[in-house]
Amino acid sequence: MDSPEPLHLIVPATLLDARAATERVVNLCGRFDTEDRARYGTAVMEWLVNVVKHSYCHAAGARITIRAVAGPEAIELMVEDTGLGMAPWQFEAAPCAVVFDHTNISALPESGMGLAIIKSVMDSVNYQTEHGVNRLTAVRRWQR
Amino acid sequence: MLLEDVPEGDCLVVSLKEKRLDAVIAASFREALVERIDQGQRNIVLDMSQVSFMDSSGLGAVVFILKHLGHRGRLHICGVTPGVMAVLKLTRMDRVLKTFETRQAAIAA
Repeated sequence: MDSPEPLHLIVPATLLDARAATERVVNLCGRFDTEDRARYGTAVMEWLVNVVKHSYCHAAGARITIRAVAGPEAIELMVEDTGLGMAPWQFEAAPCAVVFDHTNISALPESGMGLAIIKSVMDSVNYQTEHGVNRLTAVRRWQR
Repeated sequence: MLLEDVPEGDCLVVSLKEKRLDAVIAASFREALVERIDQGQRNIVLDMSQVSFMDSSGLGAVVFILKHLGHRGRLHICGVTPGVMAVLKLTRMDRVLKTFETRQAAIAA
């Protein structure tokens, strides 16, 4: 199967643009089945929304750089922003799965699931800040 | 965001007429459902048959509605598409949210 052209986007940091960019990335994922495409799209959206809300705090004029390459074995994603970012330890400390007590309805999480979703969907994920640029790189194999 | 309300017996069937329940519409979706509950609706069937994508913001809105109802009523979900179910399973919320294949099953349960 031929790999689609790599994607390189620089988009305004808004929720609507995050949604549109997520759709563009997911369009590279023809090798996933419906469920994997949904899971992968959710993970991408989680990170872009995180950047819009928490790194840029909805700042007007902010931009997000997105690169995605669909290779023979996996899809590689890189997202860069120049906002506040987060401490690397904070990213590392996030759980790799959404954990809660399903018998306690009043304590169910309504937020804070994003990093756990990203970590559980991606096969490898790395976050670093260098010279004011926050960079997430993530790889997800077509077959697990 | 487009919602369609259809009363069915003691239930209110609310259909979300959007392809995506995500961060873009999560807050307005949550407020719209809370308004219905606060106006006295206690048994809500949420029809998600047109929703093919949901992120954690959308899921958080659904969980908020469930918690807002609490023991006062029930939230049943029908028409869950494969994409939405994949995210429910990924987050293990499929163990908490009551889903049904059809609208009639959700109303009758």
